[in-house]
Amino acid sequence: MKKIREWFAGYLFILPIIIVVGVFVIYPIFASIYYSFTNYNPLRQMEYKNTFNLQDQLEQYLLIFSMKDLNTKDLLSQFDPADFIQTQLGIKLDKDQRAIIEKYFDSKRLMEDFVNLKTNKRMSGSQFMSEYMSKYKGMFSGYTPTWVGLKNFYQMMNDPLFWKTLWNSIFFSIIVTPIQTFIALLLAVAANQKIKGIKFFKLSFYIPSITSSAAISMLFMLLYAKPGIINRFLGFIGIPPVDWLSNTSTALPAVMAMNIWTTAGYFMIVFLAGLQNIPKDLIEASELDGATGWTRFWKIIIPLVKPQISYVVTLGLIGTLQVFDQIYFLIQNQQNYTTAMYIYVNAFNYNQMGYASAIAVFFLALIMALTLIQRKVIKEESYF
Amino acid sequence: MRKWEIARKISYIVLIIYAIISLTPFIWALLVSIAPMNYMLNGKPTGVNIMQWPPEINIFKIPPEVFGAPATISNYGQVFTVTPYARWILNTIIYAGFVTLGNLILDAMAGYAFAKLRFPGRNYIFTLLLGTLMVPFPVTIIPVYNLLVNFNLVNTYAGLIFPKVASVTGLFLMRQFYMSIPDELDEAAKVDGAGIFRRFWQIDSPVALPAFATLAIYTFMGTWNDFFWPLIVTSNKDMFTLAMGLNYFRTSYYTFWQLMMAASLLMTIPMIIIFLSFQRYFVETSTSSAVKG
Repeated sequence: MKKIREWFAGYLFILPIIIVVGVFVIYPIFASIYYSFTNYNPLRQMEYKNTFNLQDQLEQYLLIFSMKDLNTKDLLSQFDPADFIQTQLGIKLDKDQRAIIEKYFDSKRLMEDFVNLKTNKRMSGSQFMSEYMSKYKGMFSGYTPTWVGLKNFYQMMNDPLFWKTLWNSIFFSIIVTPIQTFIALLLAVAANQKIKGIKFFKLSFYIPSITSSAAISMLFMLLYAKPGIINRFLGFIGIPPVDWLSNTSTALPAVMAMNIWTTAGYFMIVFLAGLQNIPKDLIEASELDGATGWTRFWKIIIPLVKPQISYVVTLGLIGTLQVFDQIYFLIQNQQNYTTAMYIYVNAFNYNQMGYASAIAVFFLALIMALTLIQRKVIKEESYF
Repeated sequence: MRKWEIARKISYIVLIIYAIISLTPFIWALLVSIAPMNYMLNGKPTGVNIMQWPPEINIFKIPPEVFGAPATISNYGQVFTVTPYARWILNTIIYAGFVTLGNLILDAMAGYAFAKLRFPGRNYIFTLLLGTLMVPFPVTIIPVYNLLVNFNLVNTYAGLIFPKVASVTGLFLMRQFYMSIPDELDEAAKVDGAGIFRRFWQIDSPVALPAFATLAIYTFMGTWNDFFWPLIVTSNKDMFTLAMGLNYFRTSYYTFWQLMMAASLLMTIPMIIIFLSFQRYFVETSTSSAVKG
């Protein structure tokens, strides 16, 4: 009895998070896979959701200026339901749907309601259809995307822009992750001495990582401007001014530098916490053995902060592969998009959610493969 | 000993250089935010040159000068008049506040269950949940967006908050903490006749207060700064959050640098205050997650 009560409490306690993860993470994975085989278009979905005043629409369609002396029979002869739905309500119909509407749409009742002034109300396309279809209401309850098989994946394989964005994401990740890890470690080793003003240093390194990526992008937009101060400083050492963010060859490296700047301070705190756990006498003992600074760094410090390194590299890879906000604000040319950004524009700007889903599914497979490989590598290393 | 001294000197140089690199963007933003606004003359922006170097600061004048012009704080007021900035602050507080509250309750409950309660399938469910951390967000946004459209949650607080109201990262943090509480504490309470809810709420959770604080700080800051989710859910400017609103100062014709910098700094100040007030929790999480992760 007690056991069952504990089971029950356990399930009850985890139920909310299961629902949230189920609805907003697990269901979407399967939905994305389904969408990736369709020509999902969000605009088509809105056709059934947009609301209208039925009376206004009918008056416009039937060219009626006065509601007096209307005759249902005359109106019926002028009324073509499929045509009305397409041209007046803006819902696109395919051949099957047209045929079914010809057969089962209750035009007579609609005209009677119209004449009796019962149609003066707002409704959506799907509400209208379920009201006046005598059969097959479900067919018009919403937009069903058409199954297109592997078309989206073929399109993806042949889309040079997709490959370019994928390369940009990978390039971003393999350059940024090691550099930010190295800078963070270097700063942590430097800060792990008896340093005055350590609080000030910690705060100044940490501020970038507690600032919204949107605000940071704004700050750097100013710094990277052609007459901005980065060009001024480079001017002192004789480098001519560059329009960092408009130029396709410099835009991505500029955002990468900004990304390193944002994260290095946070990771430095991680390393510093790790270094402070290392017993001081261990480092001093190596000193007595005559180890120089460099060998001490590689042979003593690096192995001791291995857990932190693996944590930082994992977080770094995950973060950089998905980088979006900074790209959204600072990158102007499609050639410099990352995959996350390319998925976004396809889905929300070009209304090609099917195609965007195909890229997303590919991206998921890629990240899962990388994660599994990385897990294996790290596990093997830890045996040493 | 001398070797140590050299090492320390080098350390200072490294730290100072990086501190300059780290702070310069903020200092520059501050200078720009207090520079007088430019105005348009014959279709060309006229006034101070906020790009110039050196920034010609003179703090001995009244008022002090930046970029060779009298400094002003009026830009900070302007931000509130040219945009619904107060509304954005409110939206951001509602968004971050409710998401934090939800995470505190739901992540703690689930964390407690996975740490202290025994029920069939516990480990499988936990592994499955952890596995979802691997899923990159571009994979989920399209279906989630469509869900929100179908339930008419676009441009609503509910649409912003619900998908974020519990998180696996928070669950993981809370579980780790509950696991570090010795089982004897629970056993003793059990002998005293305390039920599961009382043990969770009155025995173990008070011990876990530091974990709650850490979770609250991280969730609040993450949501406050979040840009991506408001971008998906909100399109009406009255529903924007602060991060989302920043784009408002940039039109295709002209960028209002002074206002943009003022708005960017305004939304950063609360984060700095939180960081300074709760600094020790920041170090704690980074250590615990690194050792166990």
